[in-house]
Amino acid sequence: MRAEVEARKAGSRRKLSLDTWAVLVAFLLALLVRAGVFKHVPW
Amino acid sequence: MADAIAVPQVQLVQPALRFLRVIPGVLLLAAVGYAGKLLEQNVGAYAKAHHWTFPNIEYVLWAIVLGLVISNTVGVPEIFRTGVATYEFWLKAGIVLLGSRFLLGDILKLGGVSLALVAIEIVGSLAFMTFLGRLFELKPKLTTLLAVGSAVCGVSAIIATKGAIEADDEDSSFSIAAILALGALALFTFPVIGHFLHLSDKAYGLWAGLGVDNTAEATAAGALYSDAAGKLAVLVKSTRNAMIGFVVLGYAIYWASKGQAQAVGNKAAFLWQKFPKFVLGFLLISVLATYHFFNKDQVGALANLSRWAFLLTFAGVGLRTNFGDMRKQGLRPFAVGAIGEVVIAGFTLALVYGAGKLFGW
Repeated sequence: MRAEVEARKAGSRRKLSLDTWAVLVAFLLALLVRAGVFKHVPW
Repeated sequence: MADAIAVPQVQLVQPALRFLRVIPGVLLLAAVGYAGKLLEQNVGAYAKAHHWTFPNIEYVLWAIVLGLVISNTVGVPEIFRTGVATYEFWLKAGIVLLGSRFLLGDILKLGGVSLALVAIEIVGSLAFMTFLGRLFELKPKLTTLLAVGSAVCGVSAIIATKGAIEADDEDSSFSIAAILALGALALFTFPVIGHFLHLSDKAYGLWAGLGVDNTAEATAAGALYSDAAGKLAVLVKSTRNAMIGFVVLGYAIYWASKGQAQAVGNKAAFLWQKFPKFVLGFLLISVLATYHFFNKDQVGALANLSRWAFLLTFAGVGLRTNFGDMRKQGLRPFAVGAIGEVVIAGFTLALVYGAGKLFGW
C-alpha cells in the first residue's frame, strides 16, 4: 500500500498524470487496431 | 567537458531505470491474471469430466484470490511492488478501451439516470460519513477524507483531497486502508447479495457502480456478476469519478475558509486538474465507435484488449491487499468506514430499487 501511495505521489509530480498516460496508451492501441496492425486479439 | 556529457546520460538513464523497475511487477500481474484465466477454463472442465458439482468460478475471482493468497502468505517481494502498483494504469486504459462497446446514445441514456443517482448518493454519503466521524470523534480532516473516499471514488479521491486540504499523511493512510479493506469485503459480499436478491444485470451493475468505492473493486464486483453488469458498473463508477473535482473543490474552499488550507485561485484550472482524464478518453472512444470509426472485428479486438488490461487490474487488486497492514491502521477509522459502507450499500440499493420502479426495469 505504501508503494501505491508513493507511486501516486510520484505520478502527481510528473508532467503527465497516470490518467493521461493511460488514455494515450489506450488510444495508441486503438489506432493500431484501426490501422490493422492488430487484426485479431485473442481472449 | 566531462560534466556536459555526463548530465544528458543521467537524464536518459533515469527514465529507462524507472521503466525497468516496473517490468517484474507487471510480469507478476500477467502471470497471476493468466493463471486465473487458466483455472477458470480447467477447473470447470475437470469438474465436469469427473461429474462433480462445482460452481463456475470466473477468472476475475480466481485472479483476485490468487493475488490475495500470495500477498497474505509469502508477501509481495520489493522487486515486484513498483510494477504491481501499475494495476491502476491498466484499469484506466481498460476503461478507455471499454468505451468502444458503448454507443453514445446508451451512455447519454444510462449516464443521465446514473448522474441523478450519483448526485443523490454523493450528497447522502458525504452527510452520513460526516455525521459518523463526529459521532466517533475522529479528527475533522480524517472525517473529510473518509467521507470523500466513501462518497466519490475511493483512493484517488482521498489522494486528491489530501493535497487540497493539507491533511496529514497519517490521516490519508488511515482512510486509504479503511477504504481498501472495505472494498475487498464488498468484492465478495455484493455478488452474493445481488444473487440472493435476484437483481437484474442492470440493477446490479448500477448498485455496484454506486455502492463500491474504489474503481478497481467496482469494476471487479460488476464483472463477477456478469459481463453486462460489469459494463454498467464501469459506466456508473466513471460518472462518480467525474464528480471528484467538484467535491474536492468544495472541501478545499471549506478548509481554506477556516484558515487550515491554501485558498483555491483559479477554480476552473483546479477542476480540470482534478478531473479524471480517462473518463474523457472513454467518452471519445465511444463517440468513435458510434460513428463507425471501428468495424465490428476491430470493436471485438478492442474489447479483448480491455479484458487483458482488466486481467492485470484484478490480479493487482489481490496482490496489493494485505490484511495484516490494514489491521495495523487502527480500529476506529475502520469502524466508521464499515458502518458507513453498510449504510451506503443499503441506501444505494434502495436508490436502485426506486429507479427500477420508476423506469420499469
